Amino acid sequence: MDNAIYVGLSRQIILERELDIAANNLANVDTAGFKFEEMINNADPTSTPAPGGGAPTPVTFVADGGVARNFTQGSLIQTGAMLDVAIDGRGFFQINTANGPRYTRDGRFKTDPSGKIVNQDGDSVAGSGGDIVLDPKKGIATISPNGVISQNGETVGKLSVVDFDSLSALSKVGANQYENASNLTPQTSTTAQMRQGMLETSNVEPVRQITRLIEINRAYDAISTMMDTTAQLSSSAVQRLGAVNPT
Amino acid sequence: MQALRTAATGMAAQQLNVEVISNNIANMNTVGFKRQSAVFEDLLYQTLEQPGAQSSDQGNVVPTGVQIGAGVKAGSVYRITGQGTMTNTGNAFDLAINGQGYFQVLLPSGETAYTRAGNFSTNDQGQIVTADGYLVQPTISIPANTTNVTISQTGQVQATVGGATAPTVVGQLTLATFFNDAGLDAQGNNLFKESAASGAATVGNPGNPGFGIVEQGYTEASNVDPVSEITNLIVAQRAYEMNSKVVTTADQMLSTASNTKT
Repeated sequence: MDNAIYVGLSRQIILERELDIAANNLANVDTAGFKFEEMINNADPTSTPAPGGGAPTPVTFVADGGVARNFTQGSLIQTGAMLDVAIDGRGFFQINTANGPRYTRDGRFKTDPSGKIVNQDGDSVAGSGGDIVLDPKKGIATISPNGVISQNGETVGKLSVVDFDSLSALSKVGANQYENASNLTPQTSTTAQMRQGMLETSNVEPVRQITRLIEINRAYDAISTMMDTTAQLSSSAVQRLGAVNPT
Repeated sequence: MQALRTAATGMAAQQLNVEVISNNIANMNTVGFKRQSAVFEDLLYQTLEQPGAQSSDQGNVVPTGVQIGAGVKAGSVYRITGQGTMTNTGNAFDLAINGQGYFQVLLPSGETAYTRAGNFSTNDQGQIVTADGYLVQPTISIPANTTNVTISQTGQVQATVGGATAPTVVGQLTLATFFNDAGLDAQGNNLFKESAASGAATVGNPGNPGFGIVEQGYTEASNVDPVSEITNLIVAQRAYEMNSKVVTTADQMLSTASNTKT
């Protein structure tokens, strides 16, 4: 009988985790290049031996299977900034940080005092032939759909856009960046198109997330009621069995 | 419950977003103003199960892992230095820069500041000054009895004095450019100072490669687009509301948990 309470508890723990994930999705509804996540739940079947040697009772707990990331394209919005670049299609920009390469779809770049193209944190953006350095005397930089950056008709460099076989094996490290924690081989993306002066918005669909909030809230409530009922059942059983037999 | 704190970071971020947007809207009619935009980044992730971790001796790999994010933060507020539209004023000392570059202004403290707001005039000594009376560098004096002042696109200042038929050259305006002008340090009053992020100023004549040209009789309007700012404001408000919904939900769940009968 206690199993019912423990099964309910296992579901409630997962529901709290699902709420944390929905909260993170909603907090990042306006974060460039953000990809929303959802919890995958696993059934965890076990069984308890029945008292008196009968057939064992099947008990299925709820366990967390993983967090799935939805990599669908976010919508592109126009910002007009020269070094805002959005990726249309699969792929990531490579950022060379002090902790090694990081991958991102947030293409809000700028130049540092030496003219090198860097991200908002000042880490250099990888080009296919090393860092890309702009000369301010040559005027406005143009970025072609395949990532070639030119100033005044001269090619200055090419943005490197890489892709991975398994996107879910990438690990999020914050600051809109992913780490290649499983040592996958980065490949040059062939389908990605660069869009200058645009940004990829977060792909969080607010309606879906708000609906999730309601679902999570109601499910939590329902399980709580189930646990109450189970507890009442055992308490009334104890009362009845323990009652002194009236003469 | 992490969700409460996560939603709070979302609300704080949207609050900053509204502050940036309202400053843009307030400066819609400020000469030479450049709009700003808040950059959001996701916060650190708590890794409960590492993606790609081995789940057995046979080399099976956890396909996705469990990572839970802690919300959002404002990474930076950056300035979008796109050209503003030119407004014709007809005033001889109203100058607009079409292209790259900043006018140089001598502050009373002796430091040099930079500005795109070219609504200049002359002071009692005939020197070209900003709306606040600060000297425009290099100092150019317009002689007394001048009937007409012409400033060319390359910054040459010519004055027709008294009864003379031909104008005489009285000075040459120069502009300053920066590797990263989005990194300039805003001082208010449309003025900027050089910073470590902007790099050192490069001074040159207007019209040289990499420098914009000067248009006399125009001012550069702000590059704020009211429609997109209002749209951003709506998005920010809705995002704030949604995060507050998360707070309500987390609160209700906590109340459910604490009201469980034992």
